[in-house]
Amino acid sequence: MDLVRLERAVIGYRTPLLPPLDLSVRSGTTLGVLGPNGAGKTALLKSMLGLLPLLGGRLLFPRGRPPRVGYVPQRDRLDQSWPLSVLDVVLMGRTSLLGPLRRFGPEDRKRAREALEEIGIGELAERPLYALSGGQHQRVLIARAVAAEPELLVLDEPTSAMDPAAERVLLELVERLKRAHNLSVVLVTHQLTAVAGFATEVALVDRARGLFEVGPAREMMTPERLGRLYGREVRVAELDGQIAIVIARAADRDDGRGRADGRAPEDVG
Amino acid sequence: MTGFAEFWAGRELWREPLLAGVLAGGLLSYLGVFVVLRRMVFVSAALSEISGVGVATAFYVGAVAGIDPHTHRAIPLLLEPVWFSLVFACAAAALFSLRPGHRKLAPETIVGLGYIVASALVLAILNSPRIAQEAHAVGDILFGNAVTVPRAQIYALAGAGSVAVLAHVLFFKELLFVSYDPETAMVQGVGVFRYETLLNVIVAVVISVATRAVGALPVFAFTVLPAAAALMLTENMRSTIPLSIAFGVVSAAVGYYVSWIEQLPTGATMVVVASVFLLPGLARLAKRSTV
Repeated sequence: MDLVRLERAVIGYRTPLLPPLDLSVRSGTTLGVLGPNGAGKTALLKSMLGLLPLLGGRLLFPRGRPPRVGYVPQRDRLDQSWPLSVLDVVLMGRTSLLGPLRRFGPEDRKRAREALEEIGIGELAERPLYALSGGQHQRVLIARAVAAEPELLVLDEPTSAMDPAAERVLLELVERLKRAHNLSVVLVTHQLTAVAGFATEVALVDRARGLFEVGPAREMMTPERLGRLYGREVRVAELDGQIAIVIARAADRDDGRGRADGRAPEDVG
Repeated sequence: MTGFAEFWAGRELWREPLLAGVLAGGLLSYLGVFVVLRRMVFVSAALSEISGVGVATAFYVGAVAGIDPHTHRAIPLLLEPVWFSLVFACAAAALFSLRPGHRKLAPETIVGLGYIVASALVLAILNSPRIAQEAHAVGDILFGNAVTVPRAQIYALAGAGSVAVLAHVLFFKELLFVSYDPETAMVQGVGVFRYETLLNVIVAVVISVATRAVGALPVFAFTVLPAAAALMLTENMRSTIPLSIAFGVVSAAVGYYVSWIEQLPTGATMVVVASVFLLPGLARLAKRSTV
């Protein structure tokens, strides 16, 4: 069943960013929203969440109400200098569950600590926010989203500025949380590997080319479609059960060969 | 007679102004923690100016309507400068809560625009020939003097403070969430505009009332200095807030005492004392940066 559905939706701030689009987030799926920087991914995400009014079309909640959302914002949008402990931040996720006029109680603290334990950073509960590394901060934001007891987990560029190993660990964590809590996941990213290995459905977005396509990941992660998205030759291969994607350098177009080490500046498969 | 004995002997004179200073210092230094953390320190200065526009407008409207402001009883309730001041400040507070959705207009730009326009309006209205004779009286109402404070202003401060404390007791978790991460709060269904407006209106009311009681300079200083000093020394809100309040209250009390003994301007002395509390934090920062 769909949790959220956009029908003939026109998204944008004042003028449309993309052609009218149809998009559903189905229960139990991971939707990867993929596109280059400035492609309109965040605007699409905000429209899906009802934060950005549609310029046309409809936003529907087929279950009769919006899903409970656990939201992981882009880490660099938050100020790490606030005098807050990790537990303070995770407790914020419980705010809407508790409602106004009520204070956090022992049950909320217990749930927040459980979320931290589940993310693997239980020992950081009392640590001040400023003392965290970037990766730890990212995990705290995920723990806050889990503490909100969500049906839909939404992550906006969760792996930006991470090295490939840390990126992999974080995405495996999201996958584990999805299974453990029976979540639907929306993952917004410009990193191909994040989507290739984890998304069941993929939306390709690029406002510069007026491009919006959505479908099963296997159908969307093809050299042709990705080539259209990035305006370059893209190679997709499977290595040890994992998908490797290489965006060719401009020179590679001519000789038809990829880099010997299989790496490209944009991405590593 | 020693300095303190002399001070104590004059308690009938300083009781109200000292109480007003301490109340304003405590309240503003509490709200200041949110103001400083939200990077909106000029909100205080802008709201103070905008409430000034309200006062000046009240006099101007009175002059146009032919009401003599020197006969206080003749001023209709609707033309009371206090109401104008509060309405203007609260409207500005609501405006500051709006998210312009325009990449070139950051919230602090809106605050800056408010400050500039309000300053110009106050000057323009006060220099109007219609209220030239009342300019001094308007100045007193606008900026207070922290030396003599009518009892009514203490009641007004206590009332505004009670509302502020009650709102924070009831909605602290929401106010903290929308201040720290409004985007996530909005996604999770917390009314960001509602709570930001509540916070800004509380700040506006307290600033408007406190400016009349103790003056514009101490109000701006109490909103920024104690909170900044406390934030440099603490690592969680449970210690930041009490420490900021303590700095604000002590700055007001000690500042008033020193100004009395040394015959210095009261508001400015309070500000100097408040700025002393920055020193431990600055020393700590310097120590860290040399490690």
